[in-house]
Amino acid sequence: MAATRRAARAGVSGRAVLLPVVLLACFVAALTAGSALKIGAFGETAEWHDPASSRAGASVLPRQGTGPAASGPPTRVRIPAIGVDTALEPLHLDGSGALSAPHDYGKAGWYADGTLPGDTGPAVVAGHVDSKHGPAVFYRLPQLRPGDLVEVERGGSWQPFRVVSSAWYPKTDFPTAAVYGPTPTPQLRLVTCGGVFDRSLHSYTDNLVVYAVGA
Amino acid sequence: MSVHAPRRWLTATAAAIVVVGGLALATTPAAADTAGVGYVRLAHLSPDTPAVDVYLSSPTGAVKNQVFPAVAYGVVSPYLTLPVGVYEVAMRVANAPASSKPVLTRSVTVTARQAYTVAGVGRHADLGLRVINDDLTLPAGDKAKVRVVQASVRAPVLAVSVADGPTIADDVAFATTTPYRQVDPGRWRLVVRPVESGPQTELTTSLGAGNVYSVLVLDNQSSGLTAKVLTDASRRGGLPTGGVETGAGGTQQVHRGWALPIGVALALFGVGLVMAVLWRRPGGRHARV
Repeated sequence: MAATRRAARAGVSGRAVLLPVVLLACFVAALTAGSALKIGAFGETAEWHDPASSRAGASVLPRQGTGPAASGPPTRVRIPAIGVDTALEPLHLDGSGALSAPHDYGKAGWYADGTLPGDTGPAVVAGHVDSKHGPAVFYRLPQLRPGDLVEVERGGSWQPFRVVSSAWYPKTDFPTAAVYGPTPTPQLRLVTCGGVFDRSLHSYTDNLVVYAVGA
Repeated sequence: MSVHAPRRWLTATAAAIVVVGGLALATTPAAADTAGVGYVRLAHLSPDTPAVDVYLSSPTGAVKNQVFPAVAYGVVSPYLTLPVGVYEVAMRVANAPASSKPVLTRSVTVTARQAYTVAGVGRHADLGLRVINDDLTLPAGDKAKVRVVQASVRAPVLAVSVADGPTIADDVAFATTTPYRQVDPGRWRLVVRPVESGPQTELTTSLGAGNVYSVLVLDNQSSGLTAKVLTDASRRGGLPTGGVETGAGGTQQVHRGWALPIGVALALFGVGLVMAVLWRRPGGRHARV
């Protein structure tokens, strides 16, 4: 009798611990769902420009500046890995020479005096991490990993880019040459804020830059 | 056996907490990813060498093998984007079987953000595959950068300058490449002049601020020189200063913070414990009564 009751109690205490552990597991699963499964080697996703299939003549290599034909300004950016699909507004330099941020917290913007996405050079797209009230369009940018797809719509066609790397920089030590300097291929940089928010300056201390190359 | 049961559950719970902690840590965003890509382009710069098939392969399988068939003198490919690592470039006579022994091979080590031109250079008799470093870094002060890639055997030594302007390079020998030189951006007439004898050649080109160019000098089809300008790297627009103000602080309490996830985890665990205890209670109370 006593033995069976003890066994029953052991079973109950099994359930007793199982319940909180299951709840924890569910929480962790939800926490990781967006990011942990996306990590992949860039090498597997890098797509090659295949000269054999795209060359016009049989005797020469493809010329410089190849890539999907596109015209006009970019209109949208979408990043499936972090659920971003937004219109783009043009950004210019402000009076101090800095790149102005988008007016709309829900939209990203592109540096309209700079390289057009899909042209050779570094096209720059910036978006807010948050508004005064909560997450904004690029809130999940830190979750991007090498190999993730970023697409920019231009003239009705989507220019594909693959994330190569990302890095945080203090705004006081922003890597202008790496972000805006010349590149040998069509590239894209995604920029948002992070680090500590200085409430007196209404400004984050850091910028996150995600580097992507034409896919 | 039942005496050990509580200790066993204690252990299991501790293990679960460790697993949970590990998973949570695993999802922390990396501060900076060190992985990256570099750039390689291929060129045939040997005037008296017939067309070649150029092979590019990765010993580690980072990319699938590439073949560029029948590459002729003067052809320079676009840059290929490659994951960092070591690659092998091989040249075979055009249409030679891929299994045949290459005429030349050369390995190239690609590091992040660096660019390379792997070129067949020299006369056919002493043909070599050379890895040329292409310094594509931003030129200072809104200048443009230009260098000379000398692949003309007809003018074994030559000079390149802006017409009525600065010299880009003097005494450039066949099969060499000069360092980049900074020049003012603008639309310029470039003069390519053999140092010893022979007709000079000119070309007009636009050099953009912040852009990087190579002037490629070749023997032409007849008896003279020809030159063309390759855009090695480009950009557009003014250089913004500093970073971008892309945040208003509304998520500061949770953004990249640990308070929320840890709090939620503890709360869930606590709720679970309370529920479990309540679940047990009626049975215990009933037994006592």
